[in-house]
Amino acid sequence: MKETKYKLTLCDGTACIQNQSKVLHQALEAELDKHGLRQSVSIHLSGCLGICQKGPVLIVNPGYIMYGRVQVEDIPEIVESHLVRNKAVTRLIITEDHLYNRFFRIFGDVDFFGKQMRICLRNCGVIDPENIDDYLSLRGYEALAKALESMTPEEVIAEVKKSGLRGRGGAGFPTGLKWEFTAKQTADDKYVICNADEGDPGAFMDRSAIEGDPHTVLEGMIIAGYAIGAKKGIIYIRAEYPLAIERLEKAIAAAREHGILGANVLGSDFSFDIEIRLGAGAFVCGEETALIHSIEGHRGMPRPRPPYPSVKGLFGKPTLINNVETWASIPVILLDGGKWFSTVGTETSKGTKVFALAGKVHNTGLVEVPMGTTLREIIYDIGGGIPNGKTFKAVQTGGPSGGCLPAKYLDTQIDYESLAKAGSIMGSGGMIVIDEDSCMVGLAKFFIEFTQDESCGKCTPCREGTKRMYEILTRITEGKGQPGDIEKLERLGEMIKRSSLCGLGQSAPNPVLSTIKNFREEYEEHIHSKKCRAGQCAAMLSYTVNVKCVGCGACKRICPVGAVEGTRKEKHLILQDKCIRCGQCYEVCKFDAITKA
Amino acid sequence: MLTPIQTIKKKRAEAVNRIISKGYLSTKRVYVGMATCEIAAGSKDVMDVFRQAIANGLTDVYLSQKGCAGRCNLEPTVEVVEEGKIPVKYGRVTPQRARDIVERHLKKGEIIAEWTI
Repeated sequence: MKETKYKLTLCDGTACIQNQSKVLHQALEAELDKHGLRQSVSIHLSGCLGICQKGPVLIVNPGYIMYGRVQVEDIPEIVESHLVRNKAVTRLIITEDHLYNRFFRIFGDVDFFGKQMRICLRNCGVIDPENIDDYLSLRGYEALAKALESMTPEEVIAEVKKSGLRGRGGAGFPTGLKWEFTAKQTADDKYVICNADEGDPGAFMDRSAIEGDPHTVLEGMIIAGYAIGAKKGIIYIRAEYPLAIERLEKAIAAAREHGILGANVLGSDFSFDIEIRLGAGAFVCGEETALIHSIEGHRGMPRPRPPYPSVKGLFGKPTLINNVETWASIPVILLDGGKWFSTVGTETSKGTKVFALAGKVHNTGLVEVPMGTTLREIIYDIGGGIPNGKTFKAVQTGGPSGGCLPAKYLDTQIDYESLAKAGSIMGSGGMIVIDEDSCMVGLAKFFIEFTQDESCGKCTPCREGTKRMYEILTRITEGKGQPGDIEKLERLGEMIKRSSLCGLGQSAPNPVLSTIKNFREEYEEHIHSKKCRAGQCAAMLSYTVNVKCVGCGACKRICPVGAVEGTRKEKHLILQDKCIRCGQCYEVCKFDAITKA
Repeated sequence: MLTPIQTIKKKRAEAVNRIISKGYLSTKRVYVGMATCEIAAGSKDVMDVFRQAIANGLTDVYLSQKGCAGRCNLEPTVEVVEEGKIPVKYGRVTPQRARDIVERHLKKGEIIAEWTI
């Protein structure tokens, strides 16, 4: 393979497209052809680089030379001067850059990252998370210094409000308002809490953010402490994240050593310190009032709100709780400005959101995209589509509190409102892609099994209701479903949603209700025809030998219960009353001679 | 008495100096992914290969760890970054691949294209 000499990155954000970046792309290709450079120069597209007023933007690597306001007429000069003679075109170079674009200096030419915009994860995978020098060198703690020196607490809050940032834990409450409420309370003590109790199955946004860049979380929290008048911060993180805890401890120690935490932060008269509290991994402790109880040493159970934690929180004091991602956005908002932040995203949801992309996609991973990106772009452009030529069936967002969206919702833009309208939620960022091989009833059963297990037991509808839903789903998947089960699930689900105290119960039936709404025919097949179209519900399967059998005996040898009979070189037979439907014969057969139905 | 902004600028300058004095600009920088996910995929062994190579006399290398870049299915990942060159990103790095990266890329400057992301 011939080595690529230059890698060009062309901004493919909306503003740049409006400014003719597509025309530039064609002109570039034509010009490269003219100079015979197509082999040694590659062109990549990036998502919005956030420098829209200087667009269209073209980046030339190596060297990370950034050209702004590039016109078609400039292309021949760029190619001839920069790519042929290695002399940058100085009149077009722009130096404006955003904090987060550092990431793209290393990863900008990987298409997986092209459509992404990394604000929270800007340093993840770029710096050594255990070395405060790395963080400091990339303008680390500059936002804090700026707030302490040149902004009043009210101005900090105004900046956060201006940004339009909303809570990334899932509910999407405006962060600036939350700060303002807490700041307005008068009390001798106030607390700032980082909610790092990440519990959705398959979600790992917070863990990766902390493990990749712990200092940014600390910086966000210290800034909030200054803004609301708190002296103490607590990070509530589950004990099952040992590496994240270790890195937080190191980061806190290093920050104390540098005078960034402790008395008189950076020489100012503001003092703040942070400690870590470990959670035992109960899902409900991600709910803020349960989390507070857990820190206080009580059993992790929610309590009714109001009073909200901003009025009466930890130890009865005003408390500000935000999620890891929310904290990680704060330094960027202060440095690049709330106004800039609010240009990213949609009308109601600003900034970016991190998703843990998992399930049946080529590129699984952690992605951070601007709000307004469609599900299709994430699953196909970033995720690379469904592997093994299978068909997309649904995407599950929001974990056990969220819902499943079928193909017709693929062009839904991601923001809090449109996902809710489609019947799911933003949630904390789990995104599981499901293909035709997954049974929707089985999936709903998986999530309800999780929530009924994690229900704290305080409210009867959640404690008993989810258990009953689980039982009904179990019998449906075992082929013992009865007519009326779907209606029962719907009634139970609606009731649990309406009568539970906290978010866990209020959202627990969502995976069941949304799969009934979008995949009702699968439920009906399970109940009435005793059929699972995905072939996942073992009780409804039968394995039979078809005419392709050559009598090799492989199935007979592997069958753990001796349910296969037959002599060599003759068609074999599976004894249905002995068969336990483990599927091993199906897996081992080289001749496609076993039919699964 | 320095103001907070002056303090942080001084700290940044010191931090940058410390990093550069370790060879940040003049060498090949090797970043090994060391988040929980990367470690689970085997990155500790990969890190050991690079450490061992340095102990055995490999020079002009700035070895560092990094967090998770988000490429779960390609982990462990390793980047080799040289000032003024396009950063090289390797995926699914095993200890054997790491040894080859040491021999071929770090010592001889050859980019092993088939393992790049």
